[in-house]
Amino acid sequence: MSLHPLTALTAACCAAVVTTAAASWQLSVAVALAAALLAARAGVAARVLAAAGVILAPLFLSLLVLHGLFFLEGHTVLAQWGPARVTAEGLGFALELGTRTAACVLLLLLFSFTVSVPDLVTALAARRIPPQLSFVLASTLILVPAMAGRLEKIRQAQEARGLVVGRGPLSRLAAARLQAVPLVLGLVEDAGLRAQALDARGFGLPGPRTSYRQLQDPPAQRIFRAAALLLAAAAVVLRLMTAWPTAVPS
Amino acid sequence: MADGGALVSAASASARIRSFSFHGDAAAALRDIRISFLPGTLTAVLGGSGSGKSTLGKLLAGWLRPGHSGVMRGSLALGAERLDFDGGSGDPRINPAVWSARVGYVPQDAAAIISTVRSNVAEELAFGLENRGVPRPEMIRQVARVAEQTGLSGLTERDPAELSGGELRRLAVACAVIAGPEVLVLDEPMASLDAAGASGLRNLVAGLLDAGTAVVVLSQRADVLARSAGRWIILDGGTAVADGSPADLQEGAALRDAGVVQEGGAAGMPGTLPAPPALPAVLELRGIGFGYGAGTPRGGAGPGPAGDPARAAVLRDLDLTLRAGEIVAITGPNGAGKSTLLRHANGLLRPQTGDVVVAGTNIAGVPAGRIAARVGVLFQQPRDQLFERTVLREVSFGLRRLAGAGAGDRAQEALAAVGLAGAAQAHPAELPSSQQRLLALATVLARRPAVIALDEPTVGLDRPGLERLQHAVTGAAARGAGVVMVTHDLAYARANAHRVLALDGGNLREL
Amino acid sequence: MSQQPLTLPAADTRAGAPRRRRLLEIAGAAAIAATNVFLVLNQPADIANGPASFSALVALGGFLLGAVLLLAAVLPVLPTSTLVLMPVAIVLNVVLGQLMGSTGLPFYLDAIGTVLIAVLAGPAAGAATGVLGSIVWSFFNPTVLPFAAGAALIGFLAGLAARAGLFRRFYFAPVAGFLTGVLAGVVSAPIAAFVFGGTAGLGTGAIVSAFRAMGDTLLAAITKQALISDPMDKAIVFTIAALLAYALPRRTTFQFAFVRRFRVLAGKVPADPAA
Repeated sequence: MSLHPLTALTAACCAAVVTTAAASWQLSVAVALAAALLAARAGVAARVLAAAGVILAPLFLSLLVLHGLFFLEGHTVLAQWGPARVTAEGLGFALELGTRTAACVLLLLLFSFTVSVPDLVTALAARRIPPQLSFVLASTLILVPAMAGRLEKIRQAQEARGLVVGRGPLSRLAAARLQAVPLVLGLVEDAGLRAQALDARGFGLPGPRTSYRQLQDPPAQRIFRAAALLLAAAAVVLRLMTAWPTAVPS
Repeated sequence: MADGGALVSAASASARIRSFSFHGDAAAALRDIRISFLPGTLTAVLGGSGSGKSTLGKLLAGWLRPGHSGVMRGSLALGAERLDFDGGSGDPRINPAVWSARVGYVPQDAAAIISTVRSNVAEELAFGLENRGVPRPEMIRQVARVAEQTGLSGLTERDPAELSGGELRRLAVACAVIAGPEVLVLDEPMASLDAAGASGLRNLVAGLLDAGTAVVVLSQRADVLARSAGRWIILDGGTAVADGSPADLQEGAALRDAGVVQEGGAAGMPGTLPAPPALPAVLELRGIGFGYGAGTPRGGAGPGPAGDPARAAVLRDLDLTLRAGEIVAITGPNGAGKSTLLRHANGLLRPQTGDVVVAGTNIAGVPAGRIAARVGVLFQQPRDQLFERTVLREVSFGLRRLAGAGAGDRAQEALAAVGLAGAAQAHPAELPSSQQRLLALATVLARRPAVIALDEPTVGLDRPGLERLQHAVTGAAARGAGVVMVTHDLAYARANAHRVLALDGGNLREL
Repeated sequence: MSQQPLTLPAADTRAGAPRRRRLLEIAGAAAIAATNVFLVLNQPADIANGPASFSALVALGGFLLGAVLLLAAVLPVLPTSTLVLMPVAIVLNVVLGQLMGSTGLPFYLDAIGTVLIAVLAGPAAGAATGVLGSIVWSFFNPTVLPFAAGAALIGFLAGLAARAGLFRRFYFAPVAGFLTGVLAGVVSAPIAAFVFGGTAGLGTGAIVSAFRAMGDTLLAAITKQALISDPMDKAIVFTIAALLAYALPRRTTFQFAFVRRFRVLAGKVPADPAA
């Protein structure tokens, strides 16, 4: 059975919301592991984990330094060097936040690396989401790899004109400027032509649209989506009720 | 000027353009043009680079809109409806979605009409229908009909980004045709199409004419398609300088003065050039072997689109010797590896086996930017090579380091060699495409390299452009530079090179 | 199909639509502002008792709601010529950001495209680009999604600066960027503090640590860090965007009605197209 893109999106977002509301590192770790496992089953584990690693590694390090050494609110001091104190509370705080972010990042990456963009665009169109949104989404995702190729071509063309990129930051900055100008110019010019083409093909028309591509949306998935949304809403309400600030601090 | 009445009521479309200028431009891009198209007729609008062909085509088709894109004085008419413009704020505003459905336009760069957000050819075709809210059953019927008509039936499931040049051009035409236009404007439809692509397109045009569509072809070459037109309009400097049947205009001065390339006629001197004196070699390729894929030394060159080309070797044990003062042309079918070969000359690609020797020195390990002092390369996309604010700055870039105090003179000299001395203060991006290519050539010439490598230098050049190119190339060779060019234009190669080689199966052979 | 009129009506006749859009815009801005005030007033004094899950939910919900409302107000009325620039701007944010990253300089410069659009097409387009850019970028890096409101603010303020003529002089652009950075820092600090509990970079993390060591609350420390980094970064971003805008040929920049109408760029006075 194939998953409707909105079902996958709802599942990922609701799981992220529930994890955030639950505020339990055990649950966060479990969710993160589950997401990694699903990624492995979908055959995208390597890409998801690599992307997550790039995002999370600096964040983890930063959290560890910040809360591991400088957590003023901590009482249980484990070690101390001058102004820096390692506290149990600080380490716990870093762990809670680190795992929570990791779980949410993995869930959303799992969604974006498994979803079929054309299906997502079709699904959004059927939900009366402005077509401009899906256009920008799809167009950008296509432009990213194309851009890398274009930048490489510009670099080659400029090297052939005798542009030598030196080692120093200033030299690299100058090279970046020289590459950026034809890149931006070319893209802005192409965009102008593309706008004319899209307008000619009726993209600017306000009226209702139809869709050539069709998606299966089985009733079971609709029910699942409604249930997931209810669950997430319940989790949020519960958290808000238990933690509502009783008094505004003076 | 007489007003009204001149518009032929039977015409599908007509235009009377007193002037049209882009916002921010002092000069008018078009002026004094009267034009009308009858159903089922083929009209060719011929003119050199920068003559205003594309501007005219886009204006007719609602891609450029009076008021929105520029200031227009004159009138545009579709069927019985006529819109008058006087450049003021009270002018009618064209609805592009409705106008373009009746006058279709296929741009020179066919990829520009593709929405890029649809995953296969059928969905791409349906894009325009979806936006107009056409019910799905009707949409499926129309997509099938137009795919059949344009020869795309077997390709409906393909990703538009992976089509060949000819297929992409047909898809672009299909995207315009599916709206059922009364007039279809094709901008340089034959450019860079191989023989099969060209004949496919001509059949398509014939079918459209039979169905009663008025077809307008914009071209800077009097090619097969243009010669089959019933009527020619010659544009020069944004205005119509001649209007009549091809037979009347074919031999006239207007065609030549407008810079239109006469196809079939020799683009240069007949016969190959006399052999140059035997001077020492400036570029030697010795036993070059190269293939894309696992063993590519530049493999880490960034996260390009996934999927390496076939691992098969592109070049196999290839030898080439280029002597000073010699012009060598290399031809071969698309995908034979011509551009790959050229990129070895200046170190942008490194051979997996064999050596590249420039002026007696093996260039292995020398950065490409340093090799550029002795080897200049002109790429297919001149725009990628240009990055400065003015033409003069562009040519002067990095020249002082190379030529010291003589840099200014060299820059002027190079500009004069390609005929751009008068445009020194223009913005490179605002030059017509033909002149952009010549400017890129000037940046190479100004450095006076020992080896000049040209990648498809003739594509997109109009007649004056071709003459300047030929002049600059022979001039450089006379000065002692070795010139190697790859081109698919065998006639040009034969007329302008000392030797013509064919790249075939990874190897060069004399033709 | 040929029954449709070839021309557009002289003026926008849909009288109800602008008011609805205006309401959406105000609601979106109010949601962002209210969330910010609420978070600052109710910042948990007791983060030792566990991560600020409550504040995280409020921050995420409030800021995302505001961003989506703004998008819903602006997106349907943007002309196609602006819309097609957005993918370019979003990719520029990314690619130029990475290009700068390879130079090893300590700036992120991930708003250049947003500011460029704002300069060419105005505040509404800038704000929409900020939000859409965050949504699209979150496909690769979900941690940027919560900062959508801040990105919208940057685009909006850059557009206002362009309209006011601050891009006509080179020394005004960085000043406008600096001020934008101050506001952007204030808006994004609660997100960093409550959703992520810190900053993503080691350098910025060290600055936050220093303020924490001096006894600041987490939010105060991150806000102070943001007030050091963001204005500097945005001053550079505005300058680069101005350089790019001036490098574009005149015919290209003049295609944008916003540039023509407000004389956004110096030395580019509309020529008189006399016949």
